[in-house]
Amino acid sequence: MEPDLGDPERVALITGTSRGLGRVLAGFLAKQGYGLIVTARNGVELNAAGADLRSRGSPVVSVGGDVSDAAHRQRLVDAAAKWGRLDLLVNNASELGDTPLPPLAEASRENLRRVFDVNVLGPIALVREALPLLERAHGLVVNITSDAAVGGYPGWGVYGASKAALDLASKTLAAELKDRGIAVVAVDPGDMRTKMHQDAYPGQDISDRPLPEVTLPFWAWLLSQDPMKVTGQRFQAQAAVWEVPT
Amino acid sequence: MKTAELTFDRPPDRVAHEPPEIRGRSRDDVRLLVTVGGEHRHARFEDLPSFLAAGDLLVVNESAAIPASMAAESLHGSILLNLSTRFRSHLWIAEPRWAFDKPGPLPIQPGEGLKVGAAHVRLLSEYPGIPRLWFALSDRPFDSLVAEHGRPIHYGYTAEWPMDTYETMFSRVPGSAEMPSAARPITSRIREALEGTGVRIAPILLHTGVSSLEIESPTVEGQAMYPEPFSVTPETALAVNRTHAAGGRVVAVGTTVVRALESAWTPEGVRPVAGFTRMFVNPDRGVHAVDGLLTGFHDPVTSHLALLAAFLGIDGVRDAYAEAVRAGYLWHEFGDSHLVLARANPT
Repeated sequence: MEPDLGDPERVALITGTSRGLGRVLAGFLAKQGYGLIVTARNGVELNAAGADLRSRGSPVVSVGGDVSDAAHRQRLVDAAAKWGRLDLLVNNASELGDTPLPPLAEASRENLRRVFDVNVLGPIALVREALPLLERAHGLVVNITSDAAVGGYPGWGVYGASKAALDLASKTLAAELKDRGIAVVAVDPGDMRTKMHQDAYPGQDISDRPLPEVTLPFWAWLLSQDPMKVTGQRFQAQAAVWEVPT
Repeated sequence: MKTAELTFDRPPDRVAHEPPEIRGRSRDDVRLLVTVGGEHRHARFEDLPSFLAAGDLLVVNESAAIPASMAAESLHGSILLNLSTRFRSHLWIAEPRWAFDKPGPLPIQPGEGLKVGAAHVRLLSEYPGIPRLWFALSDRPFDSLVAEHGRPIHYGYTAEWPMDTYETMFSRVPGSAEMPSAARPITSRIREALEGTGVRIAPILLHTGVSSLEIESPTVEGQAMYPEPFSVTPETALAVNRTHAAGGRVVAVGTTVVRALESAWTPEGVRPVAGFTRMFVNPDRGVHAVDGLLTGFHDPVTSHLALLAAFLGIDGVRDAYAEAVRAGYLWHEFGDSHLVLARANPT
């Protein structure tokens, strides 16, 4: 039997956990004894990730599916309800849309709808559906955003517009949920060597980008803060300074 | 800047092995090299006030060192666990070492356990880019482990001294893994002389981690940094900005103060801020918030030396250090002091 480590009664739900940033963050939390609910669209990769996380000693519930699907979201919330609380919800699953990334004026309506469904409507719906569990735990919602939300980079209009919408949703939810003891932040993890980043730059060498482990110091910091002191903030995980408003 | 350039020549015997007060001397009984505009002057530390003027502001670090070094039992035998940065009571960045005079890295696997007293400590994963540092999670608060088992961190070139050796007259808030040492020679009489000259003193807080990082990446700017908790109060931000507006000099007492003030700097001036910083002050970034630095003498290929080079350029550092070597100055936390000013006193 492992010794009891840290905060065993904390529960986290992370979407997009089969690879990249979501998987690295889940691994870090598993080693800290979090109960984890992990999810992704690719069931094969998700099962491998779930087995790996379990081997680190944490209870893991793995639920394959798409966050834009209401029935799938219900299964995720039901899994958290079995633990009776949700301390951390990380809306990390993101949809890049059509690749190569089309100019915004040439993006199809279907592409825009799909990207907004996964990147904006899914996260807002998950927050709504998990509210009682988040409230009970005085939980923290982390919405993963991108510098594309503010950049105006050619080709990044569809994805960037969805992340800009998510940024505003984060800020608004933070203001609206503060009185219920729920905190909401947006986190831009910065460029990383992930499959999504490679998909955005097909055929290009992205080996100069850091692996998602580069964000671990930030997560160690953020998840050690009093959530109510940071709610409403937008952080850059790879920045030199992480500030708590005074 | 290439890391290989961050070097200078120094004979191996130029290290202060003990604090002056151990031999009954005053803490301020050390030498002071003053570097202004490419010129060097040799002085005693007690002469510090004469190099400053009314309207200058000294900024000091109020962080106090804690006994951050603890004996631990590992799969590899008895080792030392030196705490570096506190995220929360149970989670720190820490450096496992073979011994005080024998650094790691140790052949540790992620998730491996240690025992510190009755506590189980788990080394979760390596700090990205700094393989000798680990995220360490304890089943008991590290704060109480430190109180029970902690000793001051020290290295092979010096013995372990009583805890008050590692305090300065400004130490107020415990939290640094190692002493912010630049203010060590400032005694009451030096402080009174400074204030008599019209030099003001303002505090920041930065809890410094384990020793100045050896830069391992091929370029200085590519080196990963670990974060340190810091804060700059509204009063200190105002004092810095008013000093600049009035044409005075802001002099950082120690590299920790430079890191804190540069982290709080914007083109509009220094602002109040609290959080964590891993800002790397190096020649590429330069310095904006301060006009001078009172510090010790630093080792080759370290982040502290890169910070000094941000003031002087690497050629300026080599020139100053050649002078310090020629004149027999002593390195490290109990050694001599170095005052670097962007401009001399008004004459």
